[in-house]
Amino acid sequence: MMRPPSTNGIAPLLELRDVHAAYERIEVLHGVDLTLPPGAVFAVLGPNGAGKTTMLRVVAGLHRPTRGDVYMAGRRVTGAKADELARRGVCTIPEGKGVFPNLSVRENLRMATYTGAKLSDIEEAAYARFPRLKDRRTQQAGTLSGGEQQMLAMSRAMATNPALLLLDELSMGLAPLIVEQIYEVVAQVAKEGVSILVVEQFAATVLGVADVAAIMVQGRVVRTGSPAEMESELSSAYLGS
Amino acid sequence: MIESTDRVEQFKADIADMRLKDPSIAREQQLLRLGGVMLVAGLVISIAAYFGSHSAAAAAGGGMGASQGDYIVVALIGVAVSVVGAALFLRYSIAQFLRFWMARLIYEQQAQTDRLVATTSKTDGLATKS
Repeated sequence: MMRPPSTNGIAPLLELRDVHAAYERIEVLHGVDLTLPPGAVFAVLGPNGAGKTTMLRVVAGLHRPTRGDVYMAGRRVTGAKADELARRGVCTIPEGKGVFPNLSVRENLRMATYTGAKLSDIEEAAYARFPRLKDRRTQQAGTLSGGEQQMLAMSRAMATNPALLLLDELSMGLAPLIVEQIYEVVAQVAKEGVSILVVEQFAATVLGVADVAAIMVQGRVVRTGSPAEMESELSSAYLGS
Repeated sequence: MIESTDRVEQFKADIADMRLKDPSIAREQQLLRLGGVMLVAGLVISIAAYFGSHSAAAAAGGGMGASQGDYIVVALIGVAVSVVGAALFLRYSIAQFLRFWMARLIYEQQAQTDRLVATTSKTDGLATKS
């Protein structure tokens, strides 16, 4: 296994050290090591069942590791509660649709006002990022297209002023053009200084915006390197050759 | 890659200020098991104290001897241990169940919305064709 990338002496914003996690007695993470420098986009790629979502859940405080530690900004936060981490700027956009389906677009955005931000400011930022949400603002989120729901989830996440954004399979079920649009926003968000850990099953678009990439197979990070290196290693890692 | 921004610095400060409990792994599971053990142990202590009190009563000629009083105290402690154990067991087993239940509710609600959207789309498609 390759070593995690050097952060050039800068304390990583997120670090996983030998993280193991299990569902009841079935272990799904078998010692994950990962280092995310501040302001970087780290893409973790891997086939279905590799443990990517579980890894994100561990980082977000939604799942306790059975062994190993999670460090944020140099401090061990293993076992910290999800709400505690969320309050400090760890934000997750879960796989599929991270929206409240029975609420309108506007009401979904209102859910982010718990941080103290004004709804008008949140709406302004959201509609500037994704203009088509403005036309849908009174529509129920569950009736939006998959891409629009992802845009809404992204807008709500950004309204909480995150420092660390955890993205789970943003591209799932979306048309390639929409995926490109969403990843353009991800790149823009990263430029604003937000560190991003994104997991994806299908790689092409995410590698275009990532600073570092890793391949995860069967609960282990088997390769870490630049997106270009990972692109060439992907097929062999997926096929196990 | 941005190495440092105000937000990163603020995040570092916030994380440093976090009050973290001892990150003991599977603490809930341990407490659940402890509750179960206490529940059973309390009952065993009480039953043992009951039989002990009989032998103490026989030794004291059927009277209420001092050792029998001791057994009563032991039995009461056993009951208390059982009650605390039952409370722990219920607390953590219900927490597990409710978490599962909530996840299931969210999943079902999502599935229902998906079905509704699919049906609405189909109906819209038919209306457009006709």
